[in-house]
Amino acid sequence: MSQAAAPPVLCVAPSRALVDEKITVLVENLPPGSPVTVRSHHHSDDQDDWEAYAHYVSDHRGVVSVSDDMSFGGTYSGVEPMGLLWSLRPVPGSRTGLRLRKKNVCTPLLFHISVHSGHEGFRERPPLASALIERWYVAPGVQRIDVSERGVRGTLFLPPGPGPFPGVLDMWGGGGGLHEYRAALLACHGYVALALEYFKPGELKSTDLEYSYFETAFNLIQEHPRVMADRVGILGLSLGSSLALSLAAESKTVQPRACICIGSNHCSGRSLSGSPMVLITNPEGMRVDENNHHIWRDMALSILEDESKLVDVGKMSCPLMVVNGADDQNWPSTEMADDITRRMRAAGKEHLLTRLEYPDAGHLIEPPFSPHFRATNFMVPGRQKVILLWGGQTKPHSDAQEDSWRKILSFLQQHLYGNQCPKAKL
Amino acid sequence: MKNTLPLEPLEHRGLRKSIVLRRHTMITIQHMGKVKIKPCFSLQRQLASVHRTGGAVRWMSRNRPAPLLTAAPVRAIIDEPISIKGQFLPPYSPVTFCARLHCDDGDLWEAFAHYNTKADGTVNLTRDHSVGGSYLGCEPMGLFWGLQPAPGGREGLRLRKKNVQTPYVMHISLWDGHVSSCERQSTELAAVTAERWYMAPGVKRIEIRQNGIVGTLFLPPGPGPFPAMLDLWGMGGGLPEYRSALFASRGYASLSLAYIGHKDLPGPHNSLNVGDLYFKSAFQLLQGLPQVCADRVGVIGLSFGVYLALRIATQCSVKPSCLICINGPVGSTVKLRNKDGMTEPNDIDPKYWTCDHRGYVGFREVSLPANLHPESKVKVENINCPLMYIVGEDDLSASSKENAYLIEEGLRAAGKSHLFTQLSYHGAGHLIEPPYTPNSRASLWSVKPKKLITLWGGHLAPHAVAQEDAWKKILDFVENNLRR
Repeated sequence: MSQAAAPPVLCVAPSRALVDEKITVLVENLPPGSPVTVRSHHHSDDQDDWEAYAHYVSDHRGVVSVSDDMSFGGTYSGVEPMGLLWSLRPVPGSRTGLRLRKKNVCTPLLFHISVHSGHEGFRERPPLASALIERWYVAPGVQRIDVSERGVRGTLFLPPGPGPFPGVLDMWGGGGGLHEYRAALLACHGYVALALEYFKPGELKSTDLEYSYFETAFNLIQEHPRVMADRVGILGLSLGSSLALSLAAESKTVQPRACICIGSNHCSGRSLSGSPMVLITNPEGMRVDENNHHIWRDMALSILEDESKLVDVGKMSCPLMVVNGADDQNWPSTEMADDITRRMRAAGKEHLLTRLEYPDAGHLIEPPFSPHFRATNFMVPGRQKVILLWGGQTKPHSDAQEDSWRKILSFLQQHLYGNQCPKAKL
Repeated sequence: MKNTLPLEPLEHRGLRKSIVLRRHTMITIQHMGKVKIKPCFSLQRQLASVHRTGGAVRWMSRNRPAPLLTAAPVRAIIDEPISIKGQFLPPYSPVTFCARLHCDDGDLWEAFAHYNTKADGTVNLTRDHSVGGSYLGCEPMGLFWGLQPAPGGREGLRLRKKNVQTPYVMHISLWDGHVSSCERQSTELAAVTAERWYMAPGVKRIEIRQNGIVGTLFLPPGPGPFPAMLDLWGMGGGLPEYRSALFASRGYASLSLAYIGHKDLPGPHNSLNVGDLYFKSAFQLLQGLPQVCADRVGVIGLSFGVYLALRIATQCSVKPSCLICINGPVGSTVKLRNKDGMTEPNDIDPKYWTCDHRGYVGFREVSLPANLHPESKVKVENINCPLMYIVGEDDLSASSKENAYLIEEGLRAAGKSHLFTQLSYHGAGHLIEPPYTPNSRASLWSVKPKKLITLWGGHLAPHAVAQEDAWKKILDFVENNLRR
């Protein structure tokens, strides 16, 4: 019986996954040696459209395997199994300075993956095949709990099961607000995680927060009936990193079991409104690039000369992981990480330190496979909007996100689940 | 080789009817050790489980967190295996895995298995061997196909998903020691929740009620056109959708067709009141969809659906591209009342029924070739497409082996042996369904005019092997016949 050729088949697996899980994308039943474009498309909660695409040529069996084959161009090139996710960028004609951050973590990110014939002008042709995938920040059984207790504001995520679990205090940076997605993801990996809100966007200067706010937040986690009080760690990015180090090194009431700093920042976090962060209103040292994007990294360099403005990291007594991108344009994280290393070495605490520095990665090292943002909108104190340059090139930044997340999870597991103490190097 | 346990149901322990998640209560958790519990959160969501403090257990020391239990992928399609692991356990220690599932009707299904942790404190269901419980040996998916109705539940249950748009939610937990009644006898160490879906994201479900056709259509995501499968179940009637939903999740448009015992079909409910024209129209409706390749449509039938599939292929002047027949007859088991295939009522003549010591009814002999209604026997020599026949060797509901033989011989005599493939599974019963769901050796057939439980056959472990293998071969078969 003669049949017309069956159309190509697109298979993306797993169709429902956590955001840090990998996918395979397979196209079959193509004519051999035919040029196709594979595209992913996401319509965000903010109503923006994001896409990634890559050009492939099918093999002699009519198969394209994104995990194994080379992309000849598009938003990524080369063999990149996850390129359709990490190279996502706003579609042409979108608003500027966008950043993709999921606010509602209880629903998945939806991606439409499609195959189009040809390379040039692929968008003008309807897709040959398409599939829909879901990517989740929460696993089934993870509970989300709004927290508003003793003045502390945030969201708590609990893994399923009786526990007790280790805990993590999760803090973001100077942009403010409440971002739940990383804490939700940590709960999927077995940690009770508190995403902490400590000021609203644009209100850093007027924030009246005392240092004790963070200590109380840490205690709240410890006191939860399903948390092991002596196994609570802190994870902070950017300004959150400064708070994390302050708590770990200088707090008398808080003893984290482990500490992770992303975008190494050991400015003293003792008082937010008096913090060096208000430097940002000081024009000295601030530069702009050719697109008028703000480069802040040099403004903070002078802090390194002023001991009183830095956390005395030599007082750390818990394992510390410092993660930064070498192309960080927002913060002198390389210089700061160097300084942290020097201080810990001088205090005989170098065995506690794990340092991860990634070439050509920027400031915002986030969970893996999320897009790279070289520059995005930011609300500065006084509720003014600027575009900040974070730095990084897409491919190396994405590699940094993938590699660092794996190492962060492994570090947390070793120190919060495992039983060994870090040994001093001989 | 799979090992099996004796087939008695789980010992009745007078447990409460169903031990459900304590969704609606705020619970204060007792903590061993010095720390007082302050109610410290205004919980807006419910806590999922309770510690029992009875019995000192080494787990509850303040020195270490609970073991970590992971399942991957946590959200999977029903035919995907998942890998379940426990870590940070003490070495060489006995643990019990428990799985629990509430079906759409609210009944509780459970499975459990005993393992011993390895020297590194891990247990891995894809690597390790169960030494007791619902299954034995290395069975990565044993907690799924080994599910059985919880003690104290209703009689004669069969696990079938009615609402395919929601997943099965499986609660998998790890308990200390080797126990058979987890909550009563042990302490929960860890838990994980897994979702099992029939519908992949993007699959569309469309109710079909047109031209008298009663069915549900499932379309894969994308522009198509797709190869398609017409899906026919047995005399139990109604409109099971789950196999069609799964075909669509695997890239085949699929129409699950009701033909008996459905409120939207002409009555009475216990006779076949639709004939050849009905099945032809349904097949043509599927062929005619813009999302379907008209020349790539196959038919799958289970039980009485086999006879209907064969009839469609030989008498309805449509041309399926392939046929899949599972445990069914070549002719009607009910007397026809006209030449279009409509029948008399199904339950007037129980002369071939057998009855076991519990009063369970076996229909097997009804479909012995000699007992089939001769005027209904399909002319298999007129089949012109590849046919795969699947036999459960312990089928107590249909004479599958005998009917398979008839079909094979009929095709051979017509010089068409090359069209015939047979799969035969030792220890498998009548209900060979998509994998990783439990077999019911017997279940409720009817409540009126009297309550009847019918025997399907099949033993849990070999039936699970059959379902897993048969589904893979079904997908390969349709791939080869409908895609290439």
